[in-house]
Amino acid sequence: MNNMELSLVFFTVLSQAAIGLVILSSVRQLALEGPAGNVRMEWLAAAILLLVGMLASLFHLGHPLGAPRALTHLGTAWLSREALGVGLVLGLMVLGFITAREAVKPGLALAAGAVGLLALFFMGMTYAPPGYPALSNALPLVFFLLTAAVLGTAFSSYFAPAEKKPLLARILGVSLLVALVVYLVVPLVWLSGGTVMQQTGTAYLTSPLYWTRIIIGLAIPLYAIWRSGSISFWVPPVILFGELIGRVAFFSLSVHASANIGGL
Amino acid sequence: MRKQLGFYVDAKRCIGCFTCAMACKNQYLQDTGVIWRQVYPLKTEIYPHRERAFYSLACNHCANPTCLNVCPARAFYKRDQDGIVVHEQDKCIGCGNCIRSCPYGAARYNPVLKKAEKCSFCWERIDAGQQPACVLSCPVDALRLIDLAGFEEPNAVQYPPGFPRFPSLNPSVRFRVATTPTIIRRSRT
Ligand code: SF4
Ligand code: SF4
Repeated sequence: MNNMELSLVFFTVLSQAAIGLVILSSVRQLALEGPAGNVRMEWLAAAILLLVGMLASLFHLGHPLGAPRALTHLGTAWLSREALGVGLVLGLMVLGFITAREAVKPGLALAAGAVGLLALFFMGMTYAPPGYPALSNALPLVFFLLTAAVLGTAFSSYFAPAEKKPLLARILGVSLLVALVVYLVVPLVWLSGGTVMQQTGTAYLTSPLYWTRIIIGLAIPLYAIWRSGSISFWVPPVILFGELIGRVAFFSLSVHASANIGGL
Repeated sequence: MRKQLGFYVDAKRCIGCFTCAMACKNQYLQDTGVIWRQVYPLKTEIYPHRERAFYSLACNHCANPTCLNVCPARAFYKRDQDGIVVHEQDKCIGCGNCIRSCPYGAARYNPVLKKAEKCSFCWERIDAGQQPACVLSCPVDALRLIDLAGFEEPNAVQYPPGFPRFPSLNPSVRFRVATTPTIIRRSRT
């Protein structure tokens, strides 16, 4: 893992957390009866998370001042689309924060959620290149959606009114369970693929990073929610730590196709 | 088919001497750690002999280059006249996306310039009517310049064992596979 990839770890996890947060905020506000909670602060928190993530992403460029050039290939480059999508979401978040009173305007909440999902899709495609056979599929998108779901729900508990917290705990419990199953099954599926996929699967299953992420980031929070029926204050940062470790694993353990040139 | 230049890698002839890789380094005086052409030994699971066999590989100037498609800064273009994929370093912002994307490991990171780079097919030499430096240097004629538009060699293959198969990129390279070495035993009498 090099510094460039470390900046991508922070960019992807923080931006997915921010997008998950506004989606959960919009769902609470639009689909559920009763008060929406401290929506204004929630959107500010999301905007700050996303801004920090975007600043971190500059460090993965050899030439950060050339960042605007990254928007010039929208025709085929998913990275250009990702940059545009994430930039648009940031704009909508800031607008939501500025214009919100009791709640964010429904049209704006809907637009932020929809553009957020689109940005997640662009991100999923950006990190699914042919160079990594284990990831050159829908898995990065699945991983990123799960990150947005668990972190968005977890941090949303800080801003939700008391009567909506039990529902959030249930959503988070289900999301963590799905994530746990996905992350336990995927490396096993890789073991049945081609050589490079097998190498990736083995690298995951034998790495302390992978198991740390499974235990600290998924199993312990899931157990805590199951026991208490609520999201304790310490749970969101622990899940965030797990996601960061998991993303380090994503970038550092996946084997590149070129590593196997000359082999079967 | 339009003109598409490519490399013909003759693994039957190649002796793994690295002259092609060195010729490339000499031609462009690349920074330490930057490698445009690499000679890969075949693993024993593919070539189970005491003698070794090799593939000399660089950028394959693919028909559908993923490096070009994924670059957010439009730093690549494919030449209409011969299909060479050119990387323009002044446009590169060093995001590393082409390096992650190319399954052949052809795009490399230059830690000095903090930008990507790759084999240029010596397009300046091609335009001057010369051969690429690697092709010119090979002492056993194991590397050849071919035009896939008119290339008809019945035994040539695009994806021999040991060369990753990515039909969506359609790499402009053809191989003659390595054959079993001739074993000469000395009589004990
Ligand atoms: S081999 Fe890699 S760097 Fe070369 S054209 Fe194909 S995708 Fe691009
Ligand atoms: S490293 Fe340079 S050439 Fe490669 S994708 Fe990024 S901007 Fe384009």
